[in-house]
Amino acid sequence: MKELYFAYYAVKKNIQSSAELRTSFLMNVIGMAVNNTAFIILWTFFVKSVGTIGGWTVADIIGLQGFTALSYGIVFSVAGGIRKIADSVASGAFDRFMLSPKNLLLRIAMSSFGVSALGDIVFGIICLTFYAILLHVTIYQIVIIILLVALSSVVFFSAITIIYATSFFFTDASTVTGGFFELFFTPALFHGGAFQGGMRFVFTFIIPSLLVGSIPVEIVRNMSLDKLLLIAILSVLWFTLSIFVFNRAVRRYESSNFMTFGS
Amino acid sequence: MKETRLAINIVKILIKDRMLYPGKLIVDTFSVVARCGILLILYWYVFKLNNGVINNTTFLFTAWSMFFYFSFSVLHLSGIARTIMQDVQSGNVEVLFSKPVSYLLYRIWWQIGSGIFSFIIISIVASILLTLAIGFPPTITIGMFLPSFTLTFLLGAVLTLCVYSIVGLLSFWIEDVNPIFWIVDKAVMILGGSYLPIALFPPLMYKIALYSPFGASLFITHTVSPSWQNNWYELIGIQLLWIFGLGIIVYWMYEQARKKVSVNGG
Repeated sequence: MKELYFAYYAVKKNIQSSAELRTSFLMNVIGMAVNNTAFIILWTFFVKSVGTIGGWTVADIIGLQGFTALSYGIVFSVAGGIRKIADSVASGAFDRFMLSPKNLLLRIAMSSFGVSALGDIVFGIICLTFYAILLHVTIYQIVIIILLVALSSVVFFSAITIIYATSFFFTDASTVTGGFFELFFTPALFHGGAFQGGMRFVFTFIIPSLLVGSIPVEIVRNMSLDKLLLIAILSVLWFTLSIFVFNRAVRRYESSNFMTFGS
Repeated sequence: MKETRLAINIVKILIKDRMLYPGKLIVDTFSVVARCGILLILYWYVFKLNNGVINNTTFLFTAWSMFFYFSFSVLHLSGIARTIMQDVQSGNVEVLFSKPVSYLLYRIWWQIGSGIFSFIIISIVASILLTLAIGFPPTITIGMFLPSFTLTFLLGAVLTLCVYSIVGLLSFWIEDVNPIFWIVDKAVMILGGSYLPIALFPPLMYKIALYSPFGASLFITHTVSPSWQNNWYELIGIQLLWIFGLGIIVYWMYEQARKKVSVNGG
């Protein structure tokens, strides 16, 4: 409970701090939302040129971008600090998080707020609203969508925690983590219907890219409860694994006596 | 002469740096594998579902066209926009303006130098792998391919630098150019033929790609197409026109930016 209160307090303060530069704040939010429409345009033309693949229509592409943008936005807005682990480790700034009496992962995750990620949240909500309208969803499906946003955000958070925990294993970690992130996130934005056979297996169970957007879209469209159960189990497994990997990785950290405190 | 020496020195130093610290090469390789590699596998599957032909084009042409896009993107010429913004935000621009070299030229050569090592290595290795995996399109073997490809590649690089320099120079007036950068970058991504190859563009989108600077900066993706043999001079002409127009804007903006900065010394 205390940890949750801390998380709430940190997010509130981070938003207040970011909103101080009002023009920049608004431009970042709107700019990111406009920027994200590029993927919808691309895949819509793809569907128009190539036709339906794996049963995926333009509506599903909108749903995919909605789920992906929303989970990305939720995680990188409130837990933007995860992205800075590599730099903190390299510069020795991680010391100050180690000294904090709060939960270490929570402390570092909440240490930074991604303003532009708010644009992803706005974009994600708009996309999922359109998706719900296009699909003529029932109340039951709306509940499933909300549940899936939560599950895909957990998967996203777990994946990036594991990716950025590798910072403790490499000297110049920011480049390596950047590469791992590309490998995880880029397929999450791709047309889900084109992932079949071995590719689908790899990007579901080994790299959880499809759990962020494609599989949630298929669950809503087909009302597939077995897939919902699968994503729920996998999100719990990935979350447990990410905590384990993070705690193991932190043990490798060697303090460089960087004498600063605070956020 | 001084400018040429500066350019050679910057590029030489950065190539040596990248060879000694191959971190950037690793991340670029991951990026190309994640984006281009996975896309090619997906398109291979999609073409297979459509009996090998979509919009009168085959996977062979599509794959090479997309490969050229991602290979060009390894140069990271777009990074000049953010570098200029960081210089302005950090105040570093004041120091660089006081040097006896043109700030903009220095940044342009820096940008070219920082990406060229990864570009050469990845392009060579990936083109060999692609040739071994799927072969190469017959249009590549035509005599005029190499000179016209080289020319459009160089002009595309200059045009890209012009487009992103304009975005970067805006930071002298706007506190954060990131939102503008994202929009321009996505326009280049869509019209350049990244995730959707130009052969699959609808007619209107193809026209926009042809006559906008965003599409023109990546005309190398057109070079594998059979129509390239007939319209290459027209496309290179479009590139030259955009370079002329945007070059004037870059020059004007740079002069205005110079007037805006006050170097206080210290």
